[in-house]
Amino acid sequence: MKIKATLAALSLTATSAWAADDVTLQLKWVTQAQFAGYYVALEKGFYDEEDLNVTIKPGGPDIAPTQVLAGGGADVTVEWMPAALAAREKGLPMVNIAQPFKSSGMMLTCRKDAGVETTADFPGKTLGVWFFGNEFPFLSWMSQLEIPTDGSEAGVEVLKQGFNVDPILNGQAACVSTMTYNEYWQVIDAGLTPEELTIFKYEDNGVATLEDGLYVLEENLEDPAFEDKMVRFVRASMKGWKYAEENPDEAAEIVLEYDETGAQTETHQKRMMGEVAKLTAGSNGALDPADYERTVASLLSGGSDPVISAAPTGAWTHQITDKALN
Amino acid sequence: MSWLILALLVWLGGWALNIWLSRWDRLRAVRIAVPVIFGVTLLVVWEALVRGFGISPVILPAPSVVAQTFAASTDLLWIDFQQTVVKGALRGFTIGAIAAFVAAVLIDRSKFLTRGLLPIGNFVAALPIVGIAPIMVNWFGFDWQSKAAVVVVMVFFPILVNTVQGLNEASAMQRDLMRTYAANYWQTLFRLRLPAAMPFVFNGLKVATTLALIGAIVAEYFGSPTRGMGFRISTGVGSLSIDLVWAEIAVAAIAGTALYGIVAWIEKRVTFWHPSQRR
Repeated sequence: MKIKATLAALSLTATSAWAADDVTLQLKWVTQAQFAGYYVALEKGFYDEEDLNVTIKPGGPDIAPTQVLAGGGADVTVEWMPAALAAREKGLPMVNIAQPFKSSGMMLTCRKDAGVETTADFPGKTLGVWFFGNEFPFLSWMSQLEIPTDGSEAGVEVLKQGFNVDPILNGQAACVSTMTYNEYWQVIDAGLTPEELTIFKYEDNGVATLEDGLYVLEENLEDPAFEDKMVRFVRASMKGWKYAEENPDEAAEIVLEYDETGAQTETHQKRMMGEVAKLTAGSNGALDPADYERTVASLLSGGSDPVISAAPTGAWTHQITDKALN
Repeated sequence: MSWLILALLVWLGGWALNIWLSRWDRLRAVRIAVPVIFGVTLLVVWEALVRGFGISPVILPAPSVVAQTFAASTDLLWIDFQQTVVKGALRGFTIGAIAAFVAAVLIDRSKFLTRGLLPIGNFVAALPIVGIAPIMVNWFGFDWQSKAAVVVVMVFFPILVNTVQGLNEASAMQRDLMRTYAANYWQTLFRLRLPAAMPFVFNGLKVATTLALIGAIVAEYFGSPTRGMGFRISTGVGSLSIDLVWAEIAVAAIAGTALYGIVAWIEKRVTFWHPSQRR
């Protein structure tokens, strides 16, 4: 490992040996334990060891990572695969270079008192769904269940859920979209007990799609200097992720330090890190082609309104992880 | 490169043409032609620059692409227009305008209300839309009702302030004249003070049309059914359907201009006596 890093440093040109390479990372959402690996790598100096000067840009409700990448505002972005593949089909050639998250944390959380026990209970109910590129897994799931999402008698009424779980609390929706590591706990904190809730994990329903991968623009990968930068970035990031998995509490505290909004609480972040660790546990950073195929199959089965119309080619590569992890 | 040269030529040509045309600015046709030429020039330059620099369609689509999307998704745009403009903005605008007008007359009638209500009106005007929109969604649900509620809050104040101001427009001399005619409060209000206030009322209404549209669109960012212009704009950016977003923006621009135009047209008919309407 050390030798490799030294060799990499030696192979660099004289100029870059003096100045660390700049890398800008655009997160998918606000600063929270969902991105702990990157903050840990920054705080613990894993990026410095790789001679990288990394800037982490938090996302938010009005930031589309795909657009930031297209506009040149970031070198690499954290994005969900459905949104990345949809962007690819729209003419933005994004490529997955690493996949720190093995499993999906997405689920639909429903109230039992609204009469939802199984997926057969969905028709006629109102469901809260996130949009902004996060609606794709839900839409492909519904089309697999053959439930229309137009609010008809046999279908479900879809609400564009905001950035909170209010609709399930005040009875405006029977179910809301939640992440295992974040919004689910907001529902619990709001006073509903796990016994009162039915949970549909996308993983358990066979419609899980890959989340929180690292994406770059295809044309940049052809540049050896950029490729080398990404190899080092992925290596340091994965080191950060594994450290965060082993020391979840410390990782959560590091995230809190970097949260400039001051909106996050320690309890919530520690809990989130515990849940996120379960999702990253199965991955060394390299994308498993079988997971990719499953994601694509799930998106293609979109019935009348598929998320992507054709199986993409070249949407992922092991070019970076092969060099970074061996 | 040739596209960039074209952009430059069209820009200079449009400019020269407008300067030449402006000699005859008394002609109605010329007064219409000048802004039209300006607008068309802008679109052609936009198109040429996008092509010339090879700008990615997910950053800025060319107007021709937007036009194609517009033509191909008229059904969708019509559904969104009905949801946001007809249901959200217009209903909110109507409720807000009537409420503001009645409140203005009441405030004008009593000193007590002037001191009590006007400061509250000022306070409501200072509320940020991003603050009230989620609350309204929570109160009135995800459909158009919550959007109308946001619009009511937004349009209430400009109409109120303008109407109160307008009611004080009739001079003391004119009011004394009404007294000598033994006119009571209501007669004075309807015969003198309200007509005199109309230019102000319409000023408030014109400001409110644009506010209503902005309010209805932005309120949809905070929770909506899966239709509406704000919904489409906010989700279209996320799924990189930027051409559709621009098509919605075009609809919003047309709707806004039309609403403003209708109010201005009514104003012309009502305040024909006012110096500002003279030819």
